Amino acid sequence: MIEFTLYGIRVQTDESPDTPLLWAVRDTFKLKGSKFGCGAGFCGSCTMHVDGEAVRTCVLPIAAVAGKAVTTIEGLAEPDQLHPLQEAWVSHSVPQCGYCQPGQIMSAAALLARNPNANEAEVESAMAGNICRCGCYPRIKQAILSVAGQASGPSLDDLATEVS
Amino acid sequence: MDGLVNVSRRRFLKASGVAGGGLVVGFTLTGCSSSAPPVVRLEGDFVPNAFLQITPENHFRFYCPRDEMGQGVNTGLTTLVAEELDVAPWEIEVLWAGVHSDYANPEFGVQGTGGSTSIKAHYRQLRQVGANVRAVLLEAAAGQLGRPVAALSTEDGHVLVDGERHPYGHFVAAAAAFAMPAEAPLKPASEFKYIGKEFARIDALEKSTGTAEFGIDIDVPGLHHGVVRRCPVAGGALKSFRDDKARSVPGITDVVEIGSGVAVVADRYWAAKKGAQALEVEWSLPPLASLDTERLQADYRVGLDRDGDVTGERGDLDAGFRQASQVVDNEYWAPYLAHAPMEPMNAVVRIEGGEADVWTGSQGIVAAQGLVARYSGLEKSKVRAHNTYLGGGFGRRATLTHVIEATQLAVATGKPIKVLWSREDDIQSGIYRPASLMRIKAGVDDAGRLTAWQAKRVGGNITPDTLGNMMPALLPGAVGDGVIDWMVGLADGAFDGWVVDHSSIEGLYEDYDTPNREVRHVTVNHGLPLTFWRSVGHSYTAFAKETMMDELAAKAGLDAVEFRLRNTQDKPRLHNVIRVAGERLRQWPRRPGRHLGFAAHSSFSTDVAEVAEVSVDNGAIKVHRVLCVVDCGVAVNPDIVRAQMEGSVMYGLTAALHGELDLENGAIKQSNFHDYPILRMNEAPAVDVVIIDSTEEPTGVGEPGLPPIAPAVANAVFAATGQRLRSLPLKLA
Repeated sequence: MIEFTLYGIRVQTDESPDTPLLWAVRDTFKLKGSKFGCGAGFCGSCTMHVDGEAVRTCVLPIAAVAGKAVTTIEGLAEPDQLHPLQEAWVSHSVPQCGYCQPGQIMSAAALLARNPNANEAEVESAMAGNICRCGCYPRIKQAILSVAGQASGPSLDDLATEVS
Repeated sequence: MDGLVNVSRRRFLKASGVAGGGLVVGFTLTGCSSSAPPVVRLEGDFVPNAFLQITPENHFRFYCPRDEMGQGVNTGLTTLVAEELDVAPWEIEVLWAGVHSDYANPEFGVQGTGGSTSIKAHYRQLRQVGANVRAVLLEAAAGQLGRPVAALSTEDGHVLVDGERHPYGHFVAAAAAFAMPAEAPLKPASEFKYIGKEFARIDALEKSTGTAEFGIDIDVPGLHHGVVRRCPVAGGALKSFRDDKARSVPGITDVVEIGSGVAVVADRYWAAKKGAQALEVEWSLPPLASLDTERLQADYRVGLDRDGDVTGERGDLDAGFRQASQVVDNEYWAPYLAHAPMEPMNAVVRIEGGEADVWTGSQGIVAAQGLVARYSGLEKSKVRAHNTYLGGGFGRRATLTHVIEATQLAVATGKPIKVLWSREDDIQSGIYRPASLMRIKAGVDDAGRLTAWQAKRVGGNITPDTLGNMMPALLPGAVGDGVIDWMVGLADGAFDGWVVDHSSIEGLYEDYDTPNREVRHVTVNHGLPLTFWRSVGHSYTAFAKETMMDELAAKAGLDAVEFRLRNTQDKPRLHNVIRVAGERLRQWPRRPGRHLGFAAHSSFSTDVAEVAEVSVDNGAIKVHRVLCVVDCGVAVNPDIVRAQMEGSVMYGLTAALHGELDLENGAIKQSNFHDYPILRMNEAPAVDVVIIDSTEEPTGVGEPGLPPIAPAVANAVFAATGQRLRSLPLKLA
């Protein structure tokens, strides 16, 4: 029996200890916001917070989270509220298919928790582990920078918005 | 509305789970398609549709007929109906339409999403739905309020009269009794409140909170999970297997031989996955198993000397080459690619009490229904197909072999089954963008005008495999598998030696004014399954055509923009995007070590020109900034058009810089994102999108941004290094 907390609630599971945290959360605890993308830690779709750190949970056995605090996209903000990143995601119309976005947001939230004023290079470095096949990268970056107080990124300069 | 239609619609709405009261709106449209349902024949020329539901509480529901895979179709189509209904799009609850011919894609005649058609195909139809419903509500309100229709106006789902606001819902009971007008007048563009305006896409909140439901998220009581071991070589067959180790994994309930291999079923995914890995399987390998990439390329090279099949002939090619002062003759290579959507293929099938349900995010829910019916033996009418959000499509989710697998397992085990593919399955057992060897020989005269264009493409045909995968789903169950194989074989044969599969050569020759031209196609097919991949043939033909144009421009002594302008006199829209992008190119701030490349291409009736700013450092190509000028007619949601251009550039850059699948003993060598890399944020350029202001009807948006990016980057790499790269992905010597 392995015990950990899932956004503050103590939970137990008798799943085999090698079960990746992602599958325990999705299949046992029925929280479906965290996604399966590669099963090898390459794409970041499964990102959750374990003791505040962004972790790829498709390769993290539940044995490794015994006694730790796990947070998923469902627990990122207070109930009925949005995390500032989620607000920025909506106002920048970031998502396309949306499948990778919970993982993107969890990675970004862990970054801003340790570095609230992250600059463009720091954002690129922290987010390089999260793949978006739809290619929402410019908007993801702008959304994070807007929350980090670094909003005026260079992507919309004189070439950008004019309509001919 | 005819009574029979009403009865039919009620039955359908009941069957598809539309609950609650209120006004369910059908509408009639003149100019029906050949796929019109039988009930319509009683009405002559009319095709009814069922898109809207309004409750007495003024709640609005829109049954979205197309599939949302990121391209923004639920926002876009809702906007069309909302504009004419006069309700804010974000006030409308959007549900996925079930299976019914009313929801056919007007361009395809069946329910299918792809080919960058959705907005274009539904632009008039769904606005007409909204306008007709608004007209009926006004008539009902006029009667109920005792005022003439002319005294009424509408705003945000309310009827306005004498300073009072009455919710539409107050009039739905009365409105149900009125006949729907055939064609209520549509708003002039000057009165648009939502079309062409900027607002956040309606699914952004769900997709930012983890609450958007994808196929992989579907859960039903008693759900079991199936993981399938398939032959590593496409077309191989199961010879034998041992499952004692697999069965020793706790939680395993069944091991089942199915059409595509052997499946292990368990009460949870991880157990099924471990069980499948523990299977010992032997395969009978097909001829493809002797193939590797080197031999494939050698076979294609031999094919290049074959005559092949001719299409796109015009003028006198020999005369054209005689008029040329410069002739360039090059070969181009593009490899196999996987779509790699972030959500791997999956489906849930439940068969109970002689009825079935299937849940899957697909580009054709009608095909999901058809496959479950065929492989369960149930009538289609007994199969409910439920759509979800798609975690990426890109053409991949038009092929639904995972639905077949889930159905076969549900039949064999009697349990509700979810089949989930791994990323390795996705890359190694999928259906691919074909490899292509292309040759273009072109002549240009002293005035910088193209005089001759001779092009050839060698490779497998894109259409037959997709057709072969769809036909079992779309044809009636009475048509047996043997007949289907024969029909698919006919199509396959036809494309080798009779007619050219247009999807395989599209974009290779159409864009420029070439008085003398000839296009040939040589089919060389080794048996790897092929399908549509975002922008289809254009994804490789534009690379050949636009890097060739750069070489020709240099030979003609003209810059890349001027040369293209001189050769697009017959293509005003393409000409204009080249002109606008060319102006931006001239004003582009020059930075040391940065080099610019240009390309333009028409696809899906949309014209795009792109500029790529590139640097090359120790052989590594970095794309810093991309300008994309697009003319797609009316931009129904300019921000979504912009997002699609951004996304197409990124998808195309993955192919330009990384994308490559190799064959080794007939199997795909790459397996996951470590060796089939996808562009990441640190590699992603800034993208500036310019949308040409237009009053023409919308054209495609989901794909046309992709084709120009690889050649724009290749042309910039030439500017940086003097090396002409004619193979994808781009690799410097």
